[in-house]
Amino acid sequence: MTKTNTVSMASAPFGRRAFLKGAASTCLFAATMPLGSRIWAQSGQTLRLSAYADIDALDPAFYQNGYNVDVMNCIYTKLIRYKAGREWDWELESAEEIEQVDDTHIRFKLKQGLQFSGDYGEITAEDVKFSFERAILHDSPVKSDWGPLDHVEVTGRYEGVIVLKEPFQPLWTIALPYGTGHIVSKKAVLDATDDGGNFGMTPPVFSGAYVLAEWKSNQYVRLTRNPAWTGPAPGFDEIRILPMDDTKTAERAYEAGDLDFTQITLSSLAQYRQDPPANTTIEEYPSLYYVWLGMNLDNPALGDKNLRQAIQYAINVKQVVDAAYFGEAEPATGLIAPGLPGHRDHSAIPVEGDLDKAREFLQAAGGPPSQPLTIDTLNASEWTTMAQIIQAQLAKVGIPTQINVQDSGSFWTLGMESEGDRWKNMQLVLNRFSMLPDPYYATSWFVSEQVGIWNWERFSSPEFDKLHQKALSEIDPDERAAIYRQMQDIMEQSGAYRFLTHEGSPVMYRDSLEPALRPDGRPLLPRFSGSV
Amino acid sequence: MSQAQATVSLPEPTVISRILRGLAGNRTGTIGFVLVVLILAAAIFAPWISQYDPAAIMTGPRMAPPSSDHWLGTDNLGRDLFSRVLAGGRVAMLVAGASLGAALSLGLVLGLVAGLGPRWLDNLLLLLFDALRSFPTIVFGLAVVTLVGPSLFTVILVVAITSVPIYARIIRTQAQSLRNAEFVMAERAMGAGLPRILFVHVLPNVLGPLLILASMDVPLVIATEAGLSFLGMGVRPPTSSWGVILNDGYNFIRNSPWPVIAGSVPIVLVTLGFTFLGEALRDIFDPRLQKAN
Repeated sequence: MTKTNTVSMASAPFGRRAFLKGAASTCLFAATMPLGSRIWAQSGQTLRLSAYADIDALDPAFYQNGYNVDVMNCIYTKLIRYKAGREWDWELESAEEIEQVDDTHIRFKLKQGLQFSGDYGEITAEDVKFSFERAILHDSPVKSDWGPLDHVEVTGRYEGVIVLKEPFQPLWTIALPYGTGHIVSKKAVLDATDDGGNFGMTPPVFSGAYVLAEWKSNQYVRLTRNPAWTGPAPGFDEIRILPMDDTKTAERAYEAGDLDFTQITLSSLAQYRQDPPANTTIEEYPSLYYVWLGMNLDNPALGDKNLRQAIQYAINVKQVVDAAYFGEAEPATGLIAPGLPGHRDHSAIPVEGDLDKAREFLQAAGGPPSQPLTIDTLNASEWTTMAQIIQAQLAKVGIPTQINVQDSGSFWTLGMESEGDRWKNMQLVLNRFSMLPDPYYATSWFVSEQVGIWNWERFSSPEFDKLHQKALSEIDPDERAAIYRQMQDIMEQSGAYRFLTHEGSPVMYRDSLEPALRPDGRPLLPRFSGSV
Repeated sequence: MSQAQATVSLPEPTVISRILRGLAGNRTGTIGFVLVVLILAAAIFAPWISQYDPAAIMTGPRMAPPSSDHWLGTDNLGRDLFSRVLAGGRVAMLVAGASLGAALSLGLVLGLVAGLGPRWLDNLLLLLFDALRSFPTIVFGLAVVTLVGPSLFTVILVVAITSVPIYARIIRTQAQSLRNAEFVMAERAMGAGLPRILFVHVLPNVLGPLLILASMDVPLVIATEAGLSFLGMGVRPPTSSWGVILNDGYNFIRNSPWPVIAGSVPIVLVTLGFTFLGEALRDIFDPRLQKAN
């Protein structure tokens, strides 16, 4: 490789005359470029893309959602990372080697010479220990990502052993390659906080390919190259992420030339397939997201299980999904998407619903509620469409409803006890959660411990909680899948859930861009390359 | 004798006949008048004109172009756009009527109190008016909607609150200028009380300009309602509103342009109609303009 380069450079006729010729033609080319392109070329390569939500937590041990993790992937490193491509797999990032010694011990060795930004020096095994243990030590809301982590044993400057209390299957699919797997500097965090706890939105140090240069709430996140980064150079000087909670807005921004990569809605997919924007590649990925209609079990209006079941049976999921996604998505049978262990082939309630059964349950509930039930939904076209179809379907059996459209800031705190008493008035809610390639990640939000945090239905079942724990350490894949199927049955039987869809994940990007995407279409930003 | 006869044979023209005569000689005024009458008639008789329930889904194929079954086509839920435009017109007129009515009434009272009341109260009210006017309507609307939730009532409330200072300030100025007018002083000297002065002298003098201003504000109010609904902060789904139609259409513009056309044309027409009519009314009632003519 080196030889080829040397030969080609040496043989190139690069004298003074050639230089002048080249310079003249470059100037001529630059002069004939449109003004915008000239400014752009001077400003370097900036990748611009949209995110469904703004960032709200940059401490890996306390991340809130996948959009936080997209940024964390850029500004911190981790031992292993998801491989880009169509199959779920992982590869080494800052680890030189890593191996599962037995069910509860994972030995790792860091690459040498990886640096933190500022004066915080080299990344060591002590930093890995600090980063992994603090989620549990400080009772993070996402500490469950680390499951039964006992401690990390440091065996050398770059070596250590992750010690678990019991086997933990999601370690390789969630804990290490996702949010809580990112590494921060022990010294920097202790300098910035009193006790090494949550540093929120002000990272004291960076360990990834980029640094957070600027964040304007609800406007943009600007990431620039990390000068201390010693790994492979990222493809872009700068990344700009613009929060747009309606993907339709992102589509229009892409068409206007303001974005280089974006997710697209399923309702637009057919049109884009037929008539894509210029110089654009469109790709479709299966999504792991799950969308459902939840019912607040602690709201007096929904206290009667018969009424909840009437609602479950009155909803024709096929119709809802077809209307909202223009026939591009399939109805869901549960939380877990096809292809993952624990996926159910059928739901107990038929996807088409059953109006006669709904009426029977409604009669058993003593008739429709006297006041309209509220359906809370996010202010985005697909969601409001779904809400309106559900409203019409419930009206068919005589259940009156009223739709409350909320903006993202208001919606995503609706069921959280920490954000006030709004959860008490919440009744029906259209919801969607992101997902990772392990069923544990779906069910973990519905255990009793999550009531009032992310479990907005306030569903609490000791049996469900027990099964959740059991599945974590179950080594037999078939047995584990059966447990997750049983858990979804319990959720459905509670009457608090009507599962709707896993959507789909189509994306579009400029032809000159080479995106690195997870098998579910989510971007792995530091590995994007090409030009824009 | 002949002079007396002439007085009897030329009665004072009524307000309506003045308006009609004024409009007849003003082409844009006539266009405005016709548009306003048509829009009002469509809003009032919408339930009888519509072929479909505006909220009924899947009345035909989705995103269909105009046809004999659906005169303006259908939206993303297969709802008849013509019926939704008519229903949206009712919402627009309701918001305009209710919010401007409330703003006028409240503005009238507060303006009179400020104009005729003690100095300290005038200063206090002026401060309040200025504080309210300092919020841009849409931003103020978004804040209120976030606090109390989106609904038709919220939209009316927002528009009314942000419009009150405009009317109140005009009334205050008028009332202050009339306070020391000779005929008012004469009335006072003859022992007339404040209510008589207010209702017989001050009100008739300020009501005309106020109504003209209100008619010119109708498009602004409708645009505010449409804007809030466009942002998802107006009426609740599935209630139709021109802003909602526009928003739905905008989201699916690659599928069909008809919903955007159906949502935007009425806003343009109502703006033209009320602006033309308002200007014509101002021409008719403004004595300075009459003198110039």
